[in-house]
Amino acid sequence: MHIRAIPAMAALALAALAAHAQFPLAAEQDHSVAKSNAVEYLYPEQVTVPAGKPSAVEMHFRVAHGLHINSHAPKDSYLIPTVLSVPDASGVHLENATYPPGADFTLPIDPDTKLSVYTGEFIIFTRIVAQRGNHLVEAKLRYQACDNNACMPPKTITVPIDVIGK
Amino acid sequence: MKRNTIVLFVVLFILAAFGWAGWANWEYRRQAAERALASAAKGDLATSPSGDMPELMLPMMNKPAPAFTLEDLSGKQVSLASYKGKAVLINFWATWCAPCKIETPWLIDLRNQYASQGFEVLGISADDLDLNDKQKLSEEKQEIASTATQMHIPYPVLINADAISKPYGGLDELPTSFYVDRNGTVVAVQIGITSKDEIESNIRKALGAGK
Repeated sequence: MHIRAIPAMAALALAALAAHAQFPLAAEQDHSVAKSNAVEYLYPEQVTVPAGKPSAVEMHFRVAHGLHINSHAPKDSYLIPTVLSVPDASGVHLENATYPPGADFTLPIDPDTKLSVYTGEFIIFTRIVAQRGNHLVEAKLRYQACDNNACMPPKTITVPIDVIGK
Repeated sequence: MKRNTIVLFVVLFILAAFGWAGWANWEYRRQAAERALASAAKGDLATSPSGDMPELMLPMMNKPAPAFTLEDLSGKQVSLASYKGKAVLINFWATWCAPCKIETPWLIDLRNQYASQGFEVLGISADDLDLNDKQKLSEEKQEIASTATQMHIPYPVLINADAISKPYGGLDELPTSFYVDRNGTVVAVQIGITSKDEIESNIRKALGAGK
C-alpha cells in the first residue's frame, strides 16, 4: 500500500465509525429493553454552583422510542404524574422544579380521550441550593410509562448528579 | 505541485467523508422522527396477542392456570379453584392504567352477556400495596374499591396481584388477561388492550364455543 493512501484510509474508517454511531444495532432498539428502561437521564452529570445560593440547573431526560409517560400534570387524577425529588440529606435542596407542559396524546383505541404526556427528550428546570462541598446526589424521578396498548407499573429511577457547591 | 494536489485531494476526501457522515446522521434522525409520528398516529393494536407474548408466558398456554387464593375487596378469600367448571377471564389491571379503563366496560358487557353460559371475570388489581402499613393499606384498598365502584364492576375484584405475578409471567404490562376454560386450562393470553371482538373470541374459546 502506498504511504500516501494512509490518510484517505484513515478518513474513510473515521467516517464509517461516525456513521455507525448514528445507526445503532437493531438489538439496541429492542422494544422489550426499552420498556424496562422507559426513561433515561441524559445530563448534566456534574454542575458547579455558588454555595448557599439558588441556582438553575436544567435536567435532561429521554423517553424511549414508542413509549410515553404521564406529564407532571396529567389530565385525570387517577394517572401517576412524573415527579422529580432530591433526598433531604444529600447536601442539596431542591427549591423548585418547573416541568414542561405535556403534549396531547390519544391512544389509537380511544381517540376521544386526550392524555398529557412526555415523549422523546424533555427537560425539567430546577432551582437547587447546594451546601459548600462536593455532593454526589441521587435524585429520583418517578414516572409511569405506557405504549399504545399497555402500561408498565410506576417506576422510580435514580438520577445521579455531582453537585459542587463553591 | 504534484504533492500539493494529492494533499488537496486527501483534504477534500476527508471533508466529503465527514459531510456524508453528517448527512447520514441527519437522515437517521429524520427517519426516526417519521417512525415516531407514524407510530403515534397508527398505534399498533395487539391483533395477534400471542405474537407479543413475553417468553415467560408462552409455556402457560394449554397448561393448567396457576392456582391462587387472593382477598377480594370485602376481605373474603377467593380461589381460582372455586370456579372449576366455569370459563374464567383472569384480568390483571390497575387504577393508574389508562388502557385498563378503556377495556373494563367491554369486560363488563361481555361478562353480562356470557354469564349465563358459565363465564366469569376475575379482576385482579396490580396496584402496589403497603402490606406492613395498616393505614396505608386501608387507603390503597379504598382507592381500588372506589375505582371498581365508579366503573360499576359487577365481577369479583381481587387485590395483591404481586403475590401471584411470578407464576403469571411477571405481569410487566397491563392490562394482561388469561382465558381459562372449564377444565382450568389457559387457552389464550392477551397482553395489552386489544379489540372487544378479540376479547369475545377468546371468551368463546374458553367456553368451548369456538370462534
